[in-house]
Amino acid sequence: MKNNHVSRRRFAMMAGTVTAVGIAFAETAALTAEKVIERIKTDLGGDWPPDGPDGFKAGDPTTAVTGLATTAMATLEVLKQAAKDGANLVLTYEPTFFSRADGPSRVVAGTPGRGGPFGVPADDPVYQAKQEFIGKNHLVVFRLRDHWQARKENAMLTGLAESLGWTKYRVKEDDVLYDIPATSAEETVALIRSKLRLRGGLRAVGDRKARVRRVMLHPGVMTTATMWQRYTEADLIVAGEVREWENTHFAADLHSIGQKPGLVTVGRVASEDPGMRVCASWLETLAKEVPTRWISVGDPYWRAA
Amino acid sequence: MTGREVVELIKKNIGIPWNENSYRDTFKLGNPDTQVKGIGTTVMVTFGMLKRAHEAGLNMVISHEDTFWNDRDETKDLAAIPLYKLKTEYVLKNDMVIWRIHDHMHAMRPDFTVVGSLRSVGVKGGEDAVMRPRIYTIPETTFGDFASQVKRLTGSRAFRCVGDPGAKISKILLGPGYATPRMTAEADVVIGGEQQEADGAFDDVEYVLDAVSLGKAKGLIMLGHVVSEQPGMEDLAKWMRTFIKDVLIEFVPAEEPFWT
Repeated sequence: MKNNHVSRRRFAMMAGTVTAVGIAFAETAALTAEKVIERIKTDLGGDWPPDGPDGFKAGDPTTAVTGLATTAMATLEVLKQAAKDGANLVLTYEPTFFSRADGPSRVVAGTPGRGGPFGVPADDPVYQAKQEFIGKNHLVVFRLRDHWQARKENAMLTGLAESLGWTKYRVKEDDVLYDIPATSAEETVALIRSKLRLRGGLRAVGDRKARVRRVMLHPGVMTTATMWQRYTEADLIVAGEVREWENTHFAADLHSIGQKPGLVTVGRVASEDPGMRVCASWLETLAKEVPTRWISVGDPYWRAA
Repeated sequence: MTGREVVELIKKNIGIPWNENSYRDTFKLGNPDTQVKGIGTTVMVTFGMLKRAHEAGLNMVISHEDTFWNDRDETKDLAAIPLYKLKTEYVLKNDMVIWRIHDHMHAMRPDFTVVGSLRSVGVKGGEDAVMRPRIYTIPETTFGDFASQVKRLTGSRAFRCVGDPGAKISKILLGPGYATPRMTAEADVVIGGEQQEADGAFDDVEYVLDAVSLGKAKGLIMLGHVVSEQPGMEDLAKWMRTFIKDVLIEFVPAEEPFWT
């Protein structure tokens, strides 16, 4: 109920702003967040169930949009940048509020493994400060994950390849393999670190000196099913994250018996960052009235000195 | 003494009721009735660890984690994978037997994985630690200096930090393996093994980034699964020596898998 109250108040504030700014601004002001989302839903298609991950997470959907921002994860730093840039509708691939529940703590049904509530209690100070920042700056945050990654163009993949400078090396259309100019695993890792501007998030398994020609790209989370099915096809797998007792352990054992591939994990968000840059380019075609930008999260990790 | 007899002695001495329904704490490979020449405890049955155990004359491996790269050690999808065949053959050919102890270690008092992990990062007072995390207070230092201490003490090459290196910290919350605790209002630093980076039950990475953005002194250290739970397997070996005296029991570390 508290949220509804905030929402109505915010709506009133926005309505006031529109009146004050006047007629010249009216055309732009008429583009509300929910109108932009309607265009997105129409373009991407599919079902948008209310209990799915995609949807409004914060702010008032009737807010007039002054600009769009896409990001892999709507951290407070990303939101600060968006507010500074006048991009008040933020589309984020990962949650905003620290869990799959993406809001105050609740039990998420159908989640394997660990029980108990997900996320933070409603009175958590970081959660509250983030909500407050969003409210004060009239931001609207929408999570766009399932429908974006289901798009046949697979921009999460092509975006990552583009950031690595590997677009032209794609072996087959619609596939995840890239034949890069042959070099060592060590050299490839150095290139990945520099192209993705990584700090401490990259970790590699396997032979440093191994020759690398064919690379399999897998932004986000790679499961064992994927790795077991395709590992023989690549010299090196570059993924976002894996479970260490699964794929890391598997790659380490392969290395022990002198087999490929090596495995490089760059971090989940770092691997998803580039795909949301592609998302910004795509959005530009859907909402021409307002500017669109991509805000990089960057590598959250550093290493001890 | 057979592998089965070793396990019976563990059950008799563990001090908690044995849960026969645990799918984790079972024999994974080899003949449980094989004569045990020596026991190697480890956090992860890597191929490298298996070879080192065999070379040291230890034919029973007691591991905290899985053998076949999945928690249930399901093997039905592995038949076509040469590595699976090689690893299995190596164990059988050398008359080795693998048994896992995971759930019961985390239910034990103390939980050796937590005790060992706290000790390995230089946090004192955790000798009686259990799985449920609690705050440990260390002399105030900066997060960056604390991270350097963790690096020096653990010898880890690949652990990752999130947060402000300059933040003043003294309250530590630690959970090894996949039991990385949630950051709380009271804690300054959370130390875990591994955790889904986002979209999980609690996303420490994003929470710490945001807390730092608000000027709060918060930090996160992800040690890696092997590094975080490994030290406890040495404690397990020591504990087993108190009731198994006539068989050699050694701690055989698994290698930290990463380079950076």
